[in-house]
Amino acid sequence: MSQTPFMEVRNLSRHFGLFKALSNVSVSFAPGQLTAIIGPNGAGKSTLFNVLSGALSPTSGQVFFQGQDITDLQPHDYARRGIAKSFQITNVFKQLSVHENVRVAAQMRYARYELFKPRASLRSAIEEADALLARVGLSALRNKTVADLAHGQQRSLEIAMALAADPQLLLMDEPTAGMSPEETASMMGLITQLARERTVILVEHKMKLVMGICERLIVLHHGEFLAQGTADEIRNNAEVRRVYLGQG
Amino acid sequence: MSEITPSLLMLQLVTGIALGTVYALLAIGLSLIFGMLNVVNFAHGAFFMVGAFLGVYFLGLTGNFWLALVIAPLVTGGIGLFAERFLVRPLYGRGIDYPLLLTFGLSYVLIDVVRATFGIEGLPSSTPAALRGAVNLGFGHFPLYRLFLIAATAVVVLALWLFLEKTRYGLIIRAGSRDAEIVRVLGVDITRVWWLVFGLGTAIAGLSGVLAAPTRAVNPEMGIPVLAESFVVTVVGGMGSLPGAVVAGILVGVVFSMTALLAPAYAEMSIFVLMALVLLVRPQGFFGKAGALG
Amino acid sequence: MSLENLVNLGARYRVASVLLFLLAFPWLMPYEALAVNILIFGLFAVGFNLVFGYTGMLSFGHASFLGVGSYLTGIAMVHFGLHWLAAIVVGVLASLLAGLVVGYLAIRTRGIYFSMVTLALGQVIYYLFYKAERWTGGENGLRGIKAEVIDLFGFRIDFLNPMTKYYVIWFFVALAMWLVSRILASPFGAVIEAIRENEKRTAACGYDVARAKLLIFVISAGVCGLAGSLRALHLSVVPVDSLHYLQSGQAVMMCLLGGMGTFFGPFVGAGVFLYLEDVVTTLTKYWMGAVGLLFMALVLFFPRGIWGTLVHQLQRRGLLQVERP
Repeated sequence: MSQTPFMEVRNLSRHFGLFKALSNVSVSFAPGQLTAIIGPNGAGKSTLFNVLSGALSPTSGQVFFQGQDITDLQPHDYARRGIAKSFQITNVFKQLSVHENVRVAAQMRYARYELFKPRASLRSAIEEADALLARVGLSALRNKTVADLAHGQQRSLEIAMALAADPQLLLMDEPTAGMSPEETASMMGLITQLARERTVILVEHKMKLVMGICERLIVLHHGEFLAQGTADEIRNNAEVRRVYLGQG
Repeated sequence: MSEITPSLLMLQLVTGIALGTVYALLAIGLSLIFGMLNVVNFAHGAFFMVGAFLGVYFLGLTGNFWLALVIAPLVTGGIGLFAERFLVRPLYGRGIDYPLLLTFGLSYVLIDVVRATFGIEGLPSSTPAALRGAVNLGFGHFPLYRLFLIAATAVVVLALWLFLEKTRYGLIIRAGSRDAEIVRVLGVDITRVWWLVFGLGTAIAGLSGVLAAPTRAVNPEMGIPVLAESFVVTVVGGMGSLPGAVVAGILVGVVFSMTALLAPAYAEMSIFVLMALVLLVRPQGFFGKAGALG
Repeated sequence: MSLENLVNLGARYRVASVLLFLLAFPWLMPYEALAVNILIFGLFAVGFNLVFGYTGMLSFGHASFLGVGSYLTGIAMVHFGLHWLAAIVVGVLASLLAGLVVGYLAIRTRGIYFSMVTLALGQVIYYLFYKAERWTGGENGLRGIKAEVIDLFGFRIDFLNPMTKYYVIWFFVALAMWLVSRILASPFGAVIEAIRENEKRTAACGYDVARAKLLIFVISAGVCGLAGSLRALHLSVVPVDSLHYLQSGQAVMMCLLGGMGTFFGPFVGAGVFLYLEDVVTTLTKYWMGAVGLLFMALVLFFPRGIWGTLVHQLQRRGLLQVERP
């Protein structure tokens, strides 16, 4: 294991008034792994995810990415540093076309303040967008307005947009929420593929899904760190069984 | 150039407080509507103007200032109720700019309706007989009417506070401004609450107009600068905050008044400079919540 | 050539289409001064549309940039005797600077706060110019801007001739429209539209939203400033009310009437508004009330505006493939 963890939180706490969503959580994530953050409802999974992705700032503690302190990073710097996320509640450009959604996400790496070149001449952004649409299976819907898409298709679009930033770290918050069984299977296949190319951290509450594909699991309970390990280790962990299943 | 004595400063300070109470009332009305409906009433200055006209009109009609003080805000609030029901309500859910734009158009209509009704010159207004004269404050003589302004505002603010804090309806309003869904779930008709709050907010604007009428020229354009001034107060105090409206209102009144004495050419600008400073240092206003700006 | 081909050709070469139309425009209007006015305010509305229709920021203080452009051009000529061309440059530079200052302060707020703050900041500029009587003429406005015979490329042109005036101004409007079109079609243009659609999403994609907003705000101020400079030359005076928020409201109205977020819409809005004003003010003195009613009717029933509705209908029927001409 490399000396500097890929991503790390130290003594992370997040309070909402008197409610302690996260208490003194310290966890590190290794590169190239597919890690899932799991725990019962109210465990603090979403809060941890939101701190990792920059949507929330911690009450105390720090977040490190590739050795650098990103606790106070600006929202737009996350994508630039190689951290991309897909939101739990689909958050895309509803009135733009499917292709434009991904194209504008990809464009970030090529041109932001270019005033005179026509965007149609930025072939790389256009081609990358087309490639990503093909990957998530949305090529046929290229020119449709996003508002006309089904929920599952919008989730796929979210993923394509996150990938457009070419991130080293992909954060996914409940990626299969609201999906049919076929869509879920397809999404899990995609995630497994993605995890071979980059580091992926997921939040999920469907235990069965993550047990099958994740290399590492981190279990939270009542805002505190409970356990971590491989799927087998977690399955056999007495504490985890007690918390999840009321046994032991 | 006359000398600036301590007593002159004190008198000017009290003048500023009296001016500030008008600003405070305006800002309260604006904040109530915004806090509850998420609508910035760009016709607020026009409702102020309508209140002033109605106040002078009813005073002339009945000879009784206190009667006018009650009727004018009620009628103004009535216009507000009509406007919300038929003009603003259809726009909810369409996008935050639409109600704003609508109220802006409404202000134009109100101005020309007043011109058509009362003429373009405006109405002569004077201090009601019962409140004429001056009071010796120790450091100088101060117009009784302006002291009345301060007292009247204090009464209105107290009444409003009691209403919001101590009555069931006030509780609904406070809860609704935090979370309309919860209030709906509890079986309250939130649309009705919005309607009444809009009426209340415009009635308060009208009330500040009636109260202010004896201290300024009453003409159809009088509300135009007032709109900008009430925005300054809400930015400084924090939008949606009633204590903020009161504190900022008085602060703005004092800043204007003191600048008018010490550097007269910059008086109108001074309050906007104050606003610019607040924007630089604390964009959410004194009493506003950080991040409550979107 | 079918109608569909013609429509799409015109839309693809939108700058040329608009400018050709504007070349012929004076013959469509009852008198030239109205055409000049529409040209100038059309440009003002185009500038405003950049922040309102394309980026989604409802500024209520854009008249200050129109006014700054007018006043600085006038002051440069009246008090410093500058050549009219140099005076236009001064006017535009001043409005860019004003845009930077106002934008920097206002963009710290969002949504409806932004509207309130821009209105209030616009009033600061209004009072500043109102009080600086020695330079601006105060209440009476700035007078005596002489641009009677101007020389352009060695030709002596009679600027007082309304047709000549129209085409000189057309030249500057053409330049500005070409620039605006390039900017809207650029990668940056995509960023500001994304901001209008979903700010948070745009930041999550990695774009610095505040900086992008400031940049488009400054560009918009410059375009409005150019309109102001041209207006000063046209009227030979600068009325102090050019800076008032009611003038800003007029820009909002024109964009709403014509079509926000379309290239030609603001011109349509300016044209219809000023033409109506010309006609209605001869029939009644309650033009302000009429404007208010029109405003409310647009907001309630017709938010796409005239040109916007036309474009939308053409797109819906598949006749128009190009986006938002």
